[in-house]
Amino acid sequence: MHYEITHATTYEYSYPVSLSHHALRLHPRGLAWQHCVDHRVHIDPVPSMRRAHEDYHGNHVLFVTMEVEHRQLTFKSVSVVEVTHPMLPEPRETPSWESVRDFCRGHQSGATLEASEFLFDSPLLQSKALHAQYALGSFKPGRPIFEAVLDLTRRIHSEFVFDPAATTVATPLDEVFKHKRGVCQDFAHVQIACIRSLGLPARYVSGYLETDPPPGRARMVGSDASHAWLSFYCPGIGWIGVDPTNNVVPTSRHVTVAWGRDFSDVSPVRGVVLGGGKHTLRVAVDVISREVPAPTA
Amino acid sequence: MNPPTRTNPATEFQAASLFASYFPAAGSYDEMRLSGVDPRSHWATLVQALERMGPDELTTRSENGRRIICEHGVTYNVYADPQGMDRPWELDLVPLLIPPDEWRMVERGLAQRAQLFNMILADVYGPQRLLRDGLLPPSLVFANPAFLRPCHGVLTPGGVHLHLLGVDLARSPDGQWWVLADRAQAPSGAGYALENRIVLSRLLPDEFRDCQVERLAFFFSVFRDALHHLVPAAGPIPNVVLLTPGPYNETYFEHVYLARYLGFTLVEGGDLTVRNRQVFIKTLEGLQRVDVILRRVDDTFCDPLELRQDSFLGVPGLLEAARAGQVVIANSLGSGIMESPAFMPFLPGLCRHLLGEDLLLPSVATWWCGQAKEQNYVVDHLDEIVVKPALGGQRHVPLFGGLMDSTQRTDLIAAIRARPHLYAGQEQVRLSSAPVWNETGMSARKIALRAFVATDGCGYSVLPGGLTRVSTSPDDPIVSMQRGGGSKDTWVLSDGPVSAISLLTPAGQPTTANRIGAELPSRVADNFFWFGRYFERLEGLLRILRSVVSRMADESGGEGAPELAAMAQVMAGMNLLPARFLGRVPLKDLEAEILQRIYNQNRIGTVRELLLRLRHIAGIVRDRLSGDTWRILSELQGDSRTRPGRIPLANALTLLNTLIVDLSAFSGMEMENMTREHGWRFLDVGRRLERGLGLSRLVECALASEPWIGALAPILEIADSTLTYRRRYFAQPQLASVLELLTQDGRNPRALRFQLAAISEHIANFPRDARGVSPDNHRVEELLRRLDESIVHELAGAFENGRREPLANWIKFFGTELENYSVELGHRYFTHTEMRAS
Repeated sequence: MHYEITHATTYEYSYPVSLSHHALRLHPRGLAWQHCVDHRVHIDPVPSMRRAHEDYHGNHVLFVTMEVEHRQLTFKSVSVVEVTHPMLPEPRETPSWESVRDFCRGHQSGATLEASEFLFDSPLLQSKALHAQYALGSFKPGRPIFEAVLDLTRRIHSEFVFDPAATTVATPLDEVFKHKRGVCQDFAHVQIACIRSLGLPARYVSGYLETDPPPGRARMVGSDASHAWLSFYCPGIGWIGVDPTNNVVPTSRHVTVAWGRDFSDVSPVRGVVLGGGKHTLRVAVDVISREVPAPTA
Repeated sequence: MNPPTRTNPATEFQAASLFASYFPAAGSYDEMRLSGVDPRSHWATLVQALERMGPDELTTRSENGRRIICEHGVTYNVYADPQGMDRPWELDLVPLLIPPDEWRMVERGLAQRAQLFNMILADVYGPQRLLRDGLLPPSLVFANPAFLRPCHGVLTPGGVHLHLLGVDLARSPDGQWWVLADRAQAPSGAGYALENRIVLSRLLPDEFRDCQVERLAFFFSVFRDALHHLVPAAGPIPNVVLLTPGPYNETYFEHVYLARYLGFTLVEGGDLTVRNRQVFIKTLEGLQRVDVILRRVDDTFCDPLELRQDSFLGVPGLLEAARAGQVVIANSLGSGIMESPAFMPFLPGLCRHLLGEDLLLPSVATWWCGQAKEQNYVVDHLDEIVVKPALGGQRHVPLFGGLMDSTQRTDLIAAIRARPHLYAGQEQVRLSSAPVWNETGMSARKIALRAFVATDGCGYSVLPGGLTRVSTSPDDPIVSMQRGGGSKDTWVLSDGPVSAISLLTPAGQPTTANRIGAELPSRVADNFFWFGRYFERLEGLLRILRSVVSRMADESGGEGAPELAAMAQVMAGMNLLPARFLGRVPLKDLEAEILQRIYNQNRIGTVRELLLRLRHIAGIVRDRLSGDTWRILSELQGDSRTRPGRIPLANALTLLNTLIVDLSAFSGMEMENMTREHGWRFLDVGRRLERGLGLSRLVECALASEPWIGALAPILEIADSTLTYRRRYFAQPQLASVLELLTQDGRNPRALRFQLAAISEHIANFPRDARGVSPDNHRVEELLRRLDESIVHELAGAFENGRREPLANWIKFFGTELENYSVELGHRYFTHTEMRAS
């Protein structure tokens, strides 16, 4: 599939901002099944400095500084991405989850060493006994890891309520787990904490999802949102994604932007401003597949 | 004095000895005593000298020491202690002595440790071969909160990650030195070690010379030069700043002290800014490039953009500047990972692997629970060991299994089992003891030594000495400044004569001037300005109070009554007394209220409260105040501590007089000794503004009082102009003449005109502001013109004839204008430093 993705973030400040620095993680990654054909970020006001680098996890970061006094700041990223279907193993043919756990423990080379980055507590996620208890409902002894993860994904999808009013980006994991409500970020965090609590590596993935308009209605511009899911590690195969918000395995409708230990590693726009007073934030995302004709105004 | 016959000299010596009741605990190593009564040979010279001095002399010198420390303002802030801000530093009179051969061993071990740590940091934040080769377990790094991923791959100029390392050492009963802990991100204590040396070498000058003590200055000059040489592309003299978290930090004294000693500019995060991947300091003249940041801010607080977002202590974009390789950050960001005790068991292997050498200085036995066997050992031996956080960035106190009840033990074991890699067990070292002087004799206290290692350009150099810390009581196993223990100077003895090197005049080298030292961060200018304002506000208040108190205490009675009544109203008008004093109020009430105004430090605007405020701001700009100035300020604080006592009014009057004299000493110091730089200008503008404002308010309220004529003599007195008035007019105060003298007279340093002229002159010399706009003198020039053109005796005449408004409005106008000008000044020069993450 071919997507053109527009992701616009606008800040409005009650007082002028005299200086601001931002780190943007908006550039889709290159993967075996994903190719970023084009990526541009339009910034208003024009930054005095922009500089790209790769972060520790290999995500593209754009560092920008605005020195012009401003009351409004817009980042508009436009990405053209080609996504194919990732290769997926047959769930029942994957190794038992215990064998994955034992292999990851103390294995110090190649991809498995890198995977051990995602075994431990991270800034937003502390695995606890209650996560393990919950996870063990799916991780029966000897069960193939992919099967177990899929079962866990299904349970989270059915037992947690998608409720944008229930949480903010700052709601701690404990509260999400207690009230069983939240958005894609919370769903992903819950499942990551559960998988890690069993000694298995899991990482947070941020990106976009192509959504269908309600039946009989035209696509609304800006109606999409950035999305989040997770992937788990299986030695010999690599990382496999699951999306607990939708109870699916990500395929060609999911566009990967960045990954990390949790949301704090990949937040799309992070910044520090001098001045500014209070601010309001607007985010508009459009994921348009090229095969579909553009909406008429 | 000696008895004629000396039958048993040994017993006699014993009886007189300072060490008669010195009993080090059995089973631990004593630094001073070998066995029985004999001192170790390297202590002989000092012990004899102390014995010769005798207890009285030691007490005198000890008191001298306390006085010097108080004068130097050496403090250590203890967070948990309500009285904790500015706790005086405690320094024992007896230094810790370390013999030359023994120190050489320790020195080699410390230099090796620093080199090893640097290599480990280079690998962990680089290729991570140690992980791939199995020399470090992944969880030690990946689960470590002190492993900062944004710092991975960041360039470190010269390949130096670790510039200054602090190492806590202790000596076990067999005499071996062990490492207890490492301080690898922003080690504190080197400045205190230096201050201890300066004080003790003054207290024991002969002994210091006779013992041939290694000097400390060379270490610091080498360190400073090494930092300069690391700068990739500097001009002739690099800009070095010392980044402090600010006055609330426990070791703020040391930051000020080191910055001044090393000639670095002391800055807070808000003083720095990153533009185009370079770090700049915001000065009144605009942005100045920074080449080196010696930081005392912890790793995660250094950059709110990429590290802790809630930090207000850091510099947004600092890490991006580091990535560009244009700034030396000492120590490099992320180096705190080396503080993890979990590294200790791996150091011998890492040392052989990386350096091809055996580890010279052993760490205290440490079992990291991240490994199964070690975890079981810790759980099985909880009684004998200390359980500590194993990784960096964790803050919990050491736990002594032996001191826990069974529930606490069960909880601890469960916690270890749940997250083993977060815990490490450590052997409890029986610390060595050393003599401490305590007024009556020597007693034994536990000691630990913080040593310092710094990059020297080609490797690492060790400070010959360090900060020796002393336990609070003979039995306390923990040695910590936070727990209120004391400290000692550390004398590393030399085999031969010691050459004296002072950092102030580097031998045989041209003196390097610090390019940026003279420039003023905007925040500092702001503080100077407010220092000036509070100073003047305090002086004004003292003078007003004195005029009232002296009249209340006046035994002659009667004569002063109308003046007192008028002044009570003036004070109420100026919000210095409650509004009810605008009417008639009993004298007793007034007395109680006035005493409150002086002594109550919990109310805004009292004498005591203003003194505290002044002290606080002085603390912030301390690196720019001379030692003498600081001494006067300390005296001011000391003098203000008196209580009202049984003759409250008389005592209050004495206190007010003393404080006024102290303040004039400061004024003299300011006029005579402060360099005419921007700092002084802002201080003086603050004073002039406040004095002009105070005068306007005083006159305005005096005119509104009843009978206003009663206020004339007091306001002349408050404005210190009584003598001039008498000399000039030979008469009782007349309204028009008083007003002329206090407002229009350009020769009277208390008159409004004098303040305006001074402000105008300062403005003409102000730097351009951050936008390059030259200072605007317009408003003040306009005020001067208005003042000069006024015909005061006409206004006064109208006032006396009942048309009060024109004069009242006239004087009020100047107060309002000055207040507006103060706000404008703030907008123009003191950049808003409010930071916010989004």
